[in-house]
Amino acid sequence: MKKAKHILLHSGEEGHLSDLRRGQKCIVLDFHNDNAALRRRLLDMGITKGVIIEIKKIAPLGDPIDIRLRGYELCIRKADMEGIDIRVL
Amino acid sequence: MKLALFGNQNSGKTSLFNALTGSNQKVGNWPGVTIDRVEGYIKKNNSTIVDLPGVYSLSPYTSEEEISRRFVLDEKIDLIINIVDATQLERSLYLTTQLLELDVDVVIALNMYDLLQHKGIKINVKKLEDELGVTIIPISAKTGAGINRLKETIFKRRYKRNKHKPIYPDDVEEFIQRVAKEFKYVRPTKNGKPHKRFGAVKILEEDRDYRILMDEKLKAAHLALEQSYGMDGEQLVASLRYDYIVRIRRKCVHYQKRKETRTDKVDRIFLNKFLAIPIFILIMAIVYFVSISLVGGLTASLIDAAFNGTEHLTIYIGTHPIVFDQGAIGLGPLLANWLGGLGASSWAIGLLTDGVIAGTGAVISFVPQLIMLFICLSVLETTGYMSRIAFFLDRVFHKIGLSGKSLIPFIVGAGCSVPGVMSTRIIEDENEKKATLALVPFIPCSAKLPIISLVCATFFPAWGFALALVFYLMAIVIIFVLALIIKKFTKKKEHSTFISELPSYKIPSLKYVGRDVGDKTWSFVKRAGTVVVFFSVIVCVLASFTWNFQYVDGTRINIDESMLAGIGNGFAWFFYPMLGCQWNWAASVSAIQGLIAKEQVVSSIRVIEAAGGLGLFDSFTPLTAFAYAAFNLFSIPCIATISTMRAELKSVRKVILIMLMELLVAWLIASLIGVWGVLL
Repeated sequence: MKKAKHILLHSGEEGHLSDLRRGQKCIVLDFHNDNAALRRRLLDMGITKGVIIEIKKIAPLGDPIDIRLRGYELCIRKADMEGIDIRVL
Repeated sequence: MKLALFGNQNSGKTSLFNALTGSNQKVGNWPGVTIDRVEGYIKKNNSTIVDLPGVYSLSPYTSEEEISRRFVLDEKIDLIINIVDATQLERSLYLTTQLLELDVDVVIALNMYDLLQHKGIKINVKKLEDELGVTIIPISAKTGAGINRLKETIFKRRYKRNKHKPIYPDDVEEFIQRVAKEFKYVRPTKNGKPHKRFGAVKILEEDRDYRILMDEKLKAAHLALEQSYGMDGEQLVASLRYDYIVRIRRKCVHYQKRKETRTDKVDRIFLNKFLAIPIFILIMAIVYFVSISLVGGLTASLIDAAFNGTEHLTIYIGTHPIVFDQGAIGLGPLLANWLGGLGASSWAIGLLTDGVIAGTGAVISFVPQLIMLFICLSVLETTGYMSRIAFFLDRVFHKIGLSGKSLIPFIVGAGCSVPGVMSTRIIEDENEKKATLALVPFIPCSAKLPIISLVCATFFPAWGFALALVFYLMAIVIIFVLALIIKKFTKKKEHSTFISELPSYKIPSLKYVGRDVGDKTWSFVKRAGTVVVFFSVIVCVLASFTWNFQYVDGTRINIDESMLAGIGNGFAWFFYPMLGCQWNWAASVSAIQGLIAKEQVVSSIRVIEAAGGLGLFDSFTPLTAFAYAAFNLFSIPCIATISTMRAELKSVRKVILIMLMELLVAWLIASLIGVWGVLL
């Protein structure tokens, strides 16, 4: 994993779900992923186009991340969120 | 009637299963407690009910989903009970939309209904029922509310039939219905039901098992749909399902403004950047301090005295010893006196007191501290803290080739390695799962606690708890080092995932903790009453006779000439270095018995001691006792664990490899400590 991952995204900007900070909200724009099982899992857990996601908690060591969507909370590794394009709300 | 229980992970399925059948399956507050299907029977209604592993979907990617999918397609089911977590309605109904595509009737058990008010959620159940076209019964599996109504609805068949309500936009519905109508597209299933709508949607999703059924004509129609929505089929179906659920939710559910929940407040401390790991270490230290030092110190010597008698009773309050001038006679000596008075032969008395009573007493005296340990572990499991540990340690564990979820098997394994090994199934990635499985036995399980306690109580009475922590620390270091080695030797896969729900904190239910602790304690006591008694008697007999069947009386014929000594001498070379370069058949033959059950090691040492062999103080120095305990903790686990590992790995070769690794590691560590002691 590369270290240069400290892009700060502001409201209205686009990026990846893995770039957000705690407390930020975003809308999912698109979804690209080569791993069929992971892709399917993310869809099943409700990460579809247009869904709104909030970054709730970040693990004490910086990874994984706890996100809130569709009324529940989900833990997910940063690496698994890289293929999700978002726009910050 | 055959019923199947479907629901998400951690939705309370097993609680409902227990409430319906009156049985006692294990419940916990971490996703994935049920790892295989479990069947139950409701006598009154002559019905079978199947508890399936928790799933979010009927896709074929994880083993749990595969089991559930095969089950529902291949077996004859009269009704699906879909348990839906009312506090997480949106995500839960996603599975419901899939179940409703099958040719089976569905009843929704709307669980955790009692928590809604606290969470500020209002659900209009009547309206939700009409929208979904499914009978819904609000329940609380934990308190039992609504269970009778659910039973009545099911067994009097007062539920709505599954009418396959269309839920997708018109053009998509048209595609699905066209596929469903042309039967040739849909492959038949084993239970005779066509599940046409299910198959048609799978074709639209381009499901791995179904997409080959598409012909050219269908492919064109499929492509047209994908282009008009700008998504591929899989994404399209998932999005449309959620769109439908959101529409329904808006009509039927009313949310009050969300305050910061209790869970969020607790997590601010427990998942705090700086506090999380110290808190975790503190919690685990408290667990072992309370069970070993506090409860163990108070009770172990008391119970031992009750069995074997003592001259000066010593108990510990924390690290403070209290010595009583008065001794106790104890069951064993009492019986010996009585039988002696009746004129029983000395070997028969020996068999009873030295074999049965000393042997089981050695194990039973640890029951109070085990009960305490089981209570602590059970509370950890039901509160939801386990999922937090998995969450915050994932980063570290991922680096050494394990998953955050590996911690759950490790903590369960602190109770017993067998369920510990089985719970490795919750780990998605195969490599991470296998590595965890191989490492679970290094965690000292509750049957190894007597070994730790014996060494502590004999040589370091006041600081037993600290020494116990040293053993656990050693276990952690071994696990980390071996995990790194295993990682080096496994083929690297590009990607492993960690996706887990973070459940809300729940106050543990007294009933379930009680049941869980009762079960575990009972199985330990049962082992003490059967396996340990049996082998203690054998050890005693072998220690009491020579190969020529002459009785070892301790004066003419010494115990060193007994059959047991003979067997022990055969292995003693192996244990020579770790015992500080001492030839000790008694310790050797006892360690071998750890294969049967780890508590048997302690039992055997005590039996040999009672039969006139070397006592603990004679055969060990503090350091060699430490080395010997370390060997027993980290070497090959008991036979029950080995066979569970074989069942999970489905490979004898791998199990043998793991056993060799364990033997090597344990021997090296113990021998190094033992030899180092000599050189000092």
